[in-house]
Amino acid sequence: MSDAVMNEKKALLEVHDLHVSYGAIKALSGVSLKVFEGEIVSVIGSNGAGKSTLMNAIMGMVRREKGEILLGDVKLDSRSFRVVQQGISLSPEGRKVFAPLTVLENLKMGAFPRGNDSKVEEDYEWVFSLFPRLKERISQYAGTLSGGEQQMLAIGRALMSRPKVLLLDEPSLGLAPIIIKDIFKELRRINNEGVTILLVEQNARQALLLSNRGYVIQTGRLVTEGPSEELLANADIKAAYLGGGHAKGKTTQALA
Amino acid sequence: MTRVGGDRLPSSIRERGDPYLATLIQQIINGLSLGSVYALIAVGYSLVYSVLLFSNFAHGGFLVIGGYICYAALRTFNIGIWMAGALSLVGAGAAAILTERLAYRPIRERTNVTLYLLIASMGMSIVIENIFVIVAGGRFRALPPVIPTTPVNFFGLATTSAFDLLSLVSAVVFLGALQLFLSKTRWGLAIRAAAYDLRTAGLMGVNVNRLISIVFFVAGALAAVGGIFLSVRYTLYPQLGAITIKAFVAAVIGGLGSLPGAVVGSLILGLAEMLTAGFISSQMRDLVVFSLLVVTLLVKPTGLFGKSVSEKV
Repeated sequence: MSDAVMNEKKALLEVHDLHVSYGAIKALSGVSLKVFEGEIVSVIGSNGAGKSTLMNAIMGMVRREKGEILLGDVKLDSRSFRVVQQGISLSPEGRKVFAPLTVLENLKMGAFPRGNDSKVEEDYEWVFSLFPRLKERISQYAGTLSGGEQQMLAIGRALMSRPKVLLLDEPSLGLAPIIIKDIFKELRRINNEGVTILLVEQNARQALLLSNRGYVIQTGRLVTEGPSEELLANADIKAAYLGGGHAKGKTTQALA
Repeated sequence: MTRVGGDRLPSSIRERGDPYLATLIQQIINGLSLGSVYALIAVGYSLVYSVLLFSNFAHGGFLVIGGYICYAALRTFNIGIWMAGALSLVGAGAAAILTERLAYRPIRERTNVTLYLLIASMGMSIVIENIFVIVAGGRFRALPPVIPTTPVNFFGLATTSAFDLLSLVSAVVFLGALQLFLSKTRWGLAIRAAAYDLRTAGLMGVNVNRLISIVFFVAGALAAVGGIFLSVRYTLYPQLGAITIKAFVAAVIGGLGSLPGAVVGSLILGLAEMLTAGFISSQMRDLVVFSLLVVTLLVKPTGLFGKSVSEKV
C-alpha cells in the first residue's frame, strides 16, 4: 500500500494528541497514531516509556487528560465497559486471567458484553481452534495453567468480545522464546481471520517481525514510525532496542 | 439483650431419657439456627469485602433498616409477613445501594486507598443508627408474632422451637439462592471475577458501578432477612446492628472474603455460643466468641478458608 493511499484511507483506530499524567508525572505527552483495518501495528519502547499507559488510556482504565480517540467515526467513551462494547478489547500486561475461575468461565467473562448472543458458543470453538491447549484444559482453574497457557487464555478471552481492534500489552512477557514464537504465530493467524491488532512490546524484534508498521515510544512520545521492515533495518533502533546489530558493537548482546 | 431464645430447657425434656443428650441436640439445633442468621449477615458483608476490599461497618445498618421496614409494614399496613418481608428485603437492598452511591462511590472514583472507604462506612453506620433514633425513637420494639415460636418435638430426641427451624430453613434457602445466582448467571460470574480482580473485570466490558450496586443490593437484602429474624429472636432497636460484630468475627474465622468461609465461621460461632449457653453459662457466650477469634488469629490469621492477601483493611 503506497503512502498516498494510506493517508487517504480512514483509520480504524485513531489516537490523536493523547496526554496522560499520574499526578505530577507526565506519562504520555501528545501521542498520535493510526491503525488501519486489517493491520498489525506495534509500538515498541523500553520499560517505563508509556506503552502500558497508552493501552490503558485507550481502554479508559486511566484518565485521558487531553486528546481524543476515534474508532471509525465514533469517539471512544471514557468508561472501560463502553470501550469494550464499542469494539476494542485488551489482553492486559501480566495476563491477568481470573485465577479462581475455570478456562471456560474466563472465556465467558470475555464474552460478557455480548449478553445472550447465540454465536458465543461458536466463538469458544474458534478460540479453541487457535489455542487447542485451552480446550484440553477447559474446566481447569486458570490459576493452574502455565504462563504460556495463561497468555493464550488472556488473548482468547479478549477475542471473545469479537473486537474490531485487539490490543495486546506485552504478550511475550515472562515467557520462554519457544512459547513466544507459538503465540506470535497464532497472532498472525488471528490477524488473517480479520482482527486488527495493536500491540505494545519490549520484545521489539518479535513485534516488528509480526507487524506491518511500527512506532517507537520514548518517555511518553512517539519518536519514530514506519513500516516494520524499515524499523528493523534502522541502525538507531537496532542499537537501542534490537541489540547486537550496532556496527561498532557498542550495545550489548544482552539487549536482544 | 432482653430475650434469648432456646437457652432454657423445657421441663418436659428433663423427665425423659438422657438429659445431656437432649440438651446437646437442642443446643446444636439452636446453635445452627443462630449461626445461620449470622451467616446471612456475614455472607453479605464478605461479598462486599471480596469485591471492594474494605470492611463495610454500615452493614449492620442495612439489617436495622430491614427490621424497621418489616416492623412498619406489619404495624401500619397490616399486611402479611411475606409481603412485609419482601418489602423489607427490597427496601434494605435499595438503602444499601443508596449508601454506596452517596458515601463510597465518590471515594472509589478518586482513590484506590480502601482505608477511606472503611472510615466512610463507620460514619454511615452512625448516620443510619441515628436516623432511626430520631425517626423511630430509641426504644425497644417487639415485632408482631408473625413467625411462630411454638415448641416442636425433634424426632422425640429434643424439643426446639419452630422459630429456630424456620430461621435455619430460611437461611439455607437464601444462601442457596445466592449460590445459584453466583454460579449460574452472567452477573454472578462477573461478581466472582470481580472478587478476584475488579479492575480486570472492568476490562471485560462489565459496568463496574452496576456490578457494585448489585453486590450491595444482595448484601442489603440478606442483611434484612437476618434483621427480621434477629428482631424476633431479641427485639428491634436502632443499635441492633451492633450484632454484626458477631458476623464480622464469623467472617474472619472463616476467612475474609470467602463466602463458604463466612457460612462455616457463622455456624461455628452459633454452635459455640449455644453450647456455651447450654452447658456452661449464658454469660460466657461472648467470651467464648471472642476467644475463638483470638485463637483463629493466632493459629491461622487468614481464617479457615482465607487466602493470604496483603494490603486490605
